[in-house]
Amino acid sequence: MTTARGRTAPRTRIVVDGNSVHAVDGISLAAVLVGERRWSLRRNPVGDDPRGPFCGMGVCFECEVTVDGRPGVRACITKIYDGMRVETAVEEEAPHDR
Amino acid sequence: MTAERSAALHGEVVERDVVIVGGGPAGLSAAARLASAGLAVTILDEQPELGGQYYRRPAPAVAEQWGDHRPDGGRLIARVRAAGAECRTGHLVWGVDDDGRTLLASDAAGHPVRLRARHLVLATGAFERVFPFPGWQLPGVTTPGFAQHLAAGDHTTIGERVVLAGSGPFLLPVACSLIELGVTVVGIAEAGRPYRPSLRALGALGHPARLRELAGYVARLARARVPIWQETVVLRADGRDRVSSVTLAAAARPARPVRTVEVDALCVGYGFRPQTDLARMLGCAVRVDVASGDAVPVTDAAGRASRADVYVVGEAAGIGGVHAAKARGLAAAHDILTREVRETVPVAEVRRVASARRRLARFTALTDSLYPGPAALLATLAPALPADTMVCRCEAVRAEEIRATAAGSADGDLNATKAWSRAGMGPCQGRECGFAVAGLVRSVAPRPGAGDGESRVEVFPSRLPVRPIPLATLLELAGPDSQEGDRS
Repeated sequence: MTTARGRTAPRTRIVVDGNSVHAVDGISLAAVLVGERRWSLRRNPVGDDPRGPFCGMGVCFECEVTVDGRPGVRACITKIYDGMRVETAVEEEAPHDR
Repeated sequence: MTAERSAALHGEVVERDVVIVGGGPAGLSAAARLASAGLAVTILDEQPELGGQYYRRPAPAVAEQWGDHRPDGGRLIARVRAAGAECRTGHLVWGVDDDGRTLLASDAAGHPVRLRARHLVLATGAFERVFPFPGWQLPGVTTPGFAQHLAAGDHTTIGERVVLAGSGPFLLPVACSLIELGVTVVGIAEAGRPYRPSLRALGALGHPARLRELAGYVARLARARVPIWQETVVLRADGRDRVSSVTLAAAARPARPVRTVEVDALCVGYGFRPQTDLARMLGCAVRVDVASGDAVPVTDAAGRASRADVYVVGEAAGIGGVHAAKARGLAAAHDILTREVRETVPVAEVRRVASARRRLARFTALTDSLYPGPAALLATLAPALPADTMVCRCEAVRAEEIRATAAGSADGDLNATKAWSRAGMGPCQGRECGFAVAGLVRSVAPRPGAGDGESRVEVFPSRLPVRPIPLATLLELAGPDSQEGDRS
């Protein structure tokens, strides 16, 4: 994992599905989630299979999550801020709480 | 309520000399030149910061701790701001008003903004060309661009064991970025055979500085002993709710497995496609590029489209790389300044940019010729795509449904196939599956008789002549300490 990440860089706390996650200030939400190896963020509305970030530039809409109650936010073009509350649509089998 | 928002709500329009859509290298170059000449310039971008994909800015905390991988981008953005261009980030341009020239946008808070200009510069960039395979919808399968953004902008690794696949020079810098972060790049599967230890291509090398960059990447990969599997494509990805392995095949026999590799991330891309929606919406004429099968706007040397008040520059006008994008942005700026007669652009400056543009176009043609043309690749890959492959990720439409629709009710028509099968009708608007759907339609219902552009691509899937760069030459260009390591 990103072992070098944030030894001294200023960090921000966000809440993902009820769990606190600490990450470097101002990086993208998709980076925080993938850095935590939390890949499945939503379910495909047709087949209900789990999906995760794909294009990383706002084109594919596969990384949509709910941020502070607002659904359909693309994690890849959203920067994190302190206290951000994120909900994914997929329950992780083993939550990476840290 | 801000004055701006009030204006939009009351139907008023922001009037500017020049409006530039897209804050990447091309748009920024045009903006800096035009604003410094005193024109009223607005530059809009959907992202929260200027820079586009190439110059995407790292978070300040990341830049401070690990450095800025592209400081020239930061300097260019600073020049644009210092020159007085109005920078509207978080602005999505989503349409054109009934008058055919007023741009409809929404700001970061979702409020409407309407803008009109005497000259419109479209610098909307490109997106990655992807091609489906069974399992590509699994979490952990991404584009190479996503891995690159995570590494360079967010100092985050996409995985611990990664395979890169697809085609084109972009796979190399992405692999290098991952290696720098300690990721194990298990290998790079390249559909073509661009890296070949032969001397045939030497005479064609016309732009050593850019090749040296490519050579540097190859050398770093050699030192890290990353194998490059050439003429190799992805057959399928497997995993339960997350990719755990990838199976590769020879490009010539894309249905027969040759190797399975365990991974926790897989990044596949075949270069880039121009983002031309806005140009089309404005009624600019487009043509089909035979090698790629993509539609590109028709422009003159200055980037002027079939509409005299619209310029298309950068990757949106055809894929050419960052240096070409900047030169095209400047060429458009010169043309606008000349027409505005407020300033005579120095002849030497015009000549310098025009010559750079031509030189870079030659280099692009050379680079393109090293890799298989997308149209030719499509003709090989589309017929081999397994029936149950999910081609349209959004609407979960499989290859067999698309083939059946194209051969049946749609009668070989691409748009009818889309309408009947729903492939390409999801939120990505066909950007992810469009290339593949076009290939599937052509493969089951070729229309060699018709004379339109699409059919010419079908009849002439002409790949440019392959002139591989000798691997030894690349290593040599990179310096004497890079000769160790071998390629498979």
